[in-house]
Amino acid sequence: MTRLKFLCDAERCIECNACATVCKNEHEVPWGMVRRRVVTINDGEPGEKSIAVSCMHCTDAPCVAVCPTSTLYQTDLGVVLHDKDTCIGCGYCFYACPFGAPQYPQETLFGSRGKMDKCTYCAGGPEENGSEAEFRKYGRNRIAEGKLPICAEVCSTRALLAGDGETIGEIYRERVIHRGFGSGAWGWKTAYYPEQDT
Amino acid sequence: MTDQTPVVRGRDFTGYRIGGAIAALLLLVAMVWQVVALFDGETVTVPESHWRVSAAQGDYGAEVIAGEVLEARTRFMDERFRTGPSPGAEAPELARGDRYFLIEERMEAEGRDLTRAWLTADARALEMSRPSERVIGISSLPYPNAELFERPEGRDWRFGLADFITHLGAIAILGFSLLLALILALRGRVPIAKGRSGRTVKRFNFLERANHWMTASSFIMLALTGIVIAYGDTLIRIPFGEEAQGTLALWSSWTHALFFPPFTLGLFVMILLWTWRNLPSRLDLAWLARAGGFFSDDPDNPPARKFNAGQKLIFWSAVLGGVAMIATGVTLMFPYFWADLEVMGWVMLVHATLATLLIAIFIGHIYIGTVGMQGAIWAMWGGKVDRNWAEEHHVLWLKELETRGATARGG
Repeated sequence: MTRLKFLCDAERCIECNACATVCKNEHEVPWGMVRRRVVTINDGEPGEKSIAVSCMHCTDAPCVAVCPTSTLYQTDLGVVLHDKDTCIGCGYCFYACPFGAPQYPQETLFGSRGKMDKCTYCAGGPEENGSEAEFRKYGRNRIAEGKLPICAEVCSTRALLAGDGETIGEIYRERVIHRGFGSGAWGWKTAYYPEQDT
Repeated sequence: MTDQTPVVRGRDFTGYRIGGAIAALLLLVAMVWQVVALFDGETVTVPESHWRVSAAQGDYGAEVIAGEVLEARTRFMDERFRTGPSPGAEAPELARGDRYFLIEERMEAEGRDLTRAWLTADARALEMSRPSERVIGISSLPYPNAELFERPEGRDWRFGLADFITHLGAIAILGFSLLLALILALRGRVPIAKGRSGRTVKRFNFLERANHWMTASSFIMLALTGIVIAYGDTLIRIPFGEEAQGTLALWSSWTHALFFPPFTLGLFVMILLWTWRNLPSRLDLAWLARAGGFFSDDPDNPPARKFNAGQKLIFWSAVLGGVAMIATGVTLMFPYFWADLEVMGWVMLVHATLATLLIAIFIGHIYIGTVGMQGAIWAMWGGKVDRNWAEEHHVLWLKELETRGATARGG
């Protein structure tokens, strides 16, 4: 059973921001919004780490649960998508998201947030695959072509892994055993196993 | 017949009482449904969409499932010497991205089992997963909140809103309405016990009434649009479908913002007009101790000036609740202006909680001002009330008017 996930190997991420840049470029994400970011913790201190983060496409996704207009929905491979036609910019998903993924253009008058935008796992939205309308609203649909998200496929150090959760988990574990250290899969418990006790 | 014997009794309003009974029955059904929903255990989100494979040429894609194509592609994430795209390395045929196309369509099957399976972690996955914790660093990207990596409290916020406040709020609104409907059915209206005198006294001037109705209609529109946003998933999607829900919610989100200025203006004028007469006094304790004489038909109600303790409570709910709603609402309109994401989450929960409470309270206000009490509506509608009504509910105010000679114009 395939379940698509993201895993960022913090020991390999060099904060080059290629993932963030290529994402903005591939999907022509408007000014003021960013679907993938790189966060650096303990900057300048021993134990400094950089981790790329975007929507993690959570299991039992809180954004889907709070959305008042059925804008957010999940696919059978785990990807959380959104329908820009029904979004009203209420911001509930933004308060419920454990990873700060939802973005708002803030372009309209009277403080309205406009329609939410977030990482689509390069899987577009409810429009017809590869259509102009889909590209304008959601960006490129790479999943429809059998490809994985560009942020991970472009990663020069292969720090950011995307694809079937079990497979990338295996790749990561083998890597950790080989080099002898690893800080673990960041965000996985919050995103994928919220019911498990530590 | 003494002065104290009521001429009109609450239980004589048969039509109103039947209406109250019917309303009570309907509200009871809705209430039971809400209570069941609150304790209905399983609230996980489920997949609604399915990917299938179609081939670029011919129709031999059906034998491949979408997951296989992406799993093959995932092998490219492995070390370069093992899989492509380096020359000489083996590239899985499915993974080339030129032969199979994945199509997303609405899922027919129930996705609950998938969510349950995903939630079950195997030991290896659990071992490598870092514990849930708040992680905030720095980011070189110039966006608000870009430094956030993880905040597990997002999931708690979801339970607070989706599984707690919406259900409890609905129960508060339905429960209070049910109580009022039962009171109407059993007790009837609060009558003008001595009957109408045919003479009236002026209670509210034009400015007071116009301002009241501006504020009231704004409040009702804010409440209705808020209800569409908070409860649209139940009230609109189930009977009318997703498209109607989306359209109505979009209109509601704009209308909600549109009625905020008149509501704010009305509320501040109300504060200027009525605060002085709504300051608490010793009389209020005596009035509250007897519940304002609400449950008896005797004309002998506890004495009150222009506003009795019940009306004062409504005034202060409107003022304090309204100011809090405006403050939280404006905060939510301008993300990051003074509040960060965590504070905004709490502000949103306060806004939702207060909203449901205020709706419940003002259903009570509307009740007592219309069907709940004979003659009350004329105070705010035409501005003049029956003399006997004034004497029964605001005897000190009536005396005050009489000493000023202000009642001469009435009737």
